[in-house]
Amino acid sequence: MEPSPPTRARLPDELHALLAPLLEAELDLPVLPDATARLLALCQDEAADARRVEAALERDPSLAGHILRVANSAAHAPREPIVSLQQAVGRLGLAALRGIVIGAALEQRVFRVPGHEPRVRAIWRHCAVAAAFAREIARKLRRNVEAAFLCGLLHDVGRPIVLQALLATPAARRSPPEAELLEAAMDQFHATVAARLVRAWKLAEWTSVVVAHHHEPERAEPYEEQAHVTLVADHLAHWAVDEASSPAEFACPAASLDALNLYPEDVDELLAARARALEFAEVFR
Amino acid sequence: MSAATPPSGELACDVLVIGAGPAGHKAAIQAAKAGRSVLLVDRDPAAGGECVQRGTIPSKTLRESASYLVGLRARSEGAFALELPSDVKVAGLMRRLRSVRASHASTLDGQLERNGVQRLRGRARFLSPEVVEVRAPDRSVRRIRAGRIVIATGSRPRQPEHVPVDHEHVLDSDSILSLIYLPESLTVLGAGVIACEFASIFAALGVRVTLVDAGARPLAFLDAELTGIFLASFERLGGRFLAQRKVAAVRREGAAVVTECTGGELLRAEKLLCALGRVANVQDLGLEAAGIALTPRGHVLVDANLRTVVPHIYAAGDVVGPPALAATAIDQGRRAARHALGLPPDGAGEHVPVGIYTLPEIASVGLTEAQASERFGAAVTGRARFDELARAHINGQTDGLLRLVAAPDGRVVGAQVVGEGAIELVHVAQIALAGGLTLEAFVDNVFNFPTLAEGYRVAALDAAAKLAAAGRRAA
Repeated sequence: MEPSPPTRARLPDELHALLAPLLEAELDLPVLPDATARLLALCQDEAADARRVEAALERDPSLAGHILRVANSAAHAPREPIVSLQQAVGRLGLAALRGIVIGAALEQRVFRVPGHEPRVRAIWRHCAVAAAFAREIARKLRRNVEAAFLCGLLHDVGRPIVLQALLATPAARRSPPEAELLEAAMDQFHATVAARLVRAWKLAEWTSVVVAHHHEPERAEPYEEQAHVTLVADHLAHWAVDEASSPAEFACPAASLDALNLYPEDVDELLAARARALEFAEVFR
Repeated sequence: MSAATPPSGELACDVLVIGAGPAGHKAAIQAAKAGRSVLLVDRDPAAGGECVQRGTIPSKTLRESASYLVGLRARSEGAFALELPSDVKVAGLMRRLRSVRASHASTLDGQLERNGVQRLRGRARFLSPEVVEVRAPDRSVRRIRAGRIVIATGSRPRQPEHVPVDHEHVLDSDSILSLIYLPESLTVLGAGVIACEFASIFAALGVRVTLVDAGARPLAFLDAELTGIFLASFERLGGRFLAQRKVAAVRREGAAVVTECTGGELLRAEKLLCALGRVANVQDLGLEAAGIALTPRGHVLVDANLRTVVPHIYAAGDVVGPPALAATAIDQGRRAARHALGLPPDGAGEHVPVGIYTLPEIASVGLTEAQASERFGAAVTGRARFDELARAHINGQTDGLLRLVAAPDGRVVGAQVVGEGAIELVHVAQIALAGGLTLEAFVDNVFNFPTLAEGYRVAALDAAAKLAAAGRRAA
């Protein structure tokens, strides 16, 4: 049950009209308990390697977002905004990070979508695979990988929020929507919702611009390149998680490959990173 | 004039230029101006090469932001509180980059079009000394047969084995331009042009920068007087230079990047920039199929006329090695094309200036006093310190020096400038050299007041006085 490429089905107008105001409401991102526990264990260990902490954070977009949001909150009053995981670990240190993680563990509002847990796990897995591919693309382009990774990790965080909102409607409670309708709703709203979340977390403006327009990179001015990276990573992730797909079946908008000046042999090298990207995301299985 | 397509399906042209950076662009235009059919191949859709896409123009656009910051601080004398937020995205300091790139690319495209240069996008690879295969992004393949070929594929940052560049914590001169926040501290490995440019830019932006090199001073190809001024200014910006340190290893320890020197000294920083030179882009060219030789450092081996060991194949720009400067590449591209086509040297490249975009800038043209003394038997240098110039005081930037080198007959044969505006100022001397002017030209002409160019008059007076004193001693 992998998240599908966007805009597969059209969302009925009445459902669109119902969901749109709901998604205007205050949003929050859930935290995965397993990852929280794993990170907490690492942070309890004063001798823990910061790289392992970063790695744990990188494997969990939900918790990563939470860490960044809380790290930037008034409670922790950072001297300056924290905009990346590396920065969070480096600047806050393990002790402060532990406090944030404990706070997250205590306050977490676990994202519960009864009957849809596999779908949510698939979304997180897709995000992780996309982040891993975004990092590969950035390295190939000799661009800083932090921005690429973060955008890959966050690009679909709106999907479970949309899912939750849709399933919480009285109509959906009365009659559970078909899977295709769920996907259509997520396709329709996820980028906008993700951008709202990113803005709410007070992450850097470019992050929300890229997330908002990762399906239309030309609208992400002046961050089109980052949006193209995210889009190609998104497509690579969709391809990679379908284990039956062969390299010849990989499809991606030519405009994005062209904008990034990625040649067929470059794409072949990225496709060859499939196992590495999937391994990175294994934790979400 | 278009490249012909023979029945075999191959394209044919008089001159094939591989690479559309400064060297390739100029070579193509020079060959086209000579009336030859020219095909210019590049892997990028836009002309300009690394210079436009990753190197010169992006870094200079960033430098301009740093320069404004330094200049405004100096000019306002503390009237404005000028601090950058630490989460500023480096790209955010280059917001004009898009329009700068577009404008420059448009100019380059226009020049190619006006001169009838045909273009083909793709990656080139020699199949034989005369035939090159070009693979396009859409997987289509064309074969080009050319009478003359100029290789101008540029260079990329070198990644030494002991420095694990990951573009995340350990950066190169490309990936540092896409940092998403300014680090608190930065170690810069190397002390060449790129290392010193980035070191001074990031120091000006408030980053704690440590420049580390095996040599005794940065920019060692310049003399100590010039590098001394650069170093003093760099240290005033908060930077420090660690001389004669050999790097044994670079590794991550927690959130820090640790540089271990051979003596055991450990340097910690949030990020590290590896600026230990560049390597030629020759790996995919199939040079062996053409019989082209490389130097021990991996650059294309050329003679003084930029001809490779294969007589009809030339190379120009970064691909032939240092100094790897855009102005030099432009000159080399033109010279290579002229020689390839049997045209006489035009002498235009005799006085190519060198510009180093550090803060403060450094520029030179022609000979130093030592070089002039060797050539003419004697020479003098006139000096103008920027703190002698009203304009420098108005600007609040009095770190600077203008040197004018004259032969015993008073002819101006060289100039070196360090300080604000140096890279523009040096062109005055360049034209003096090209015109064979003497010190008198600078003494007799009145410059605008107050300007930094007045430094020429001050330096010329100083040099003239030294020549007169030397003449008296000889008498």
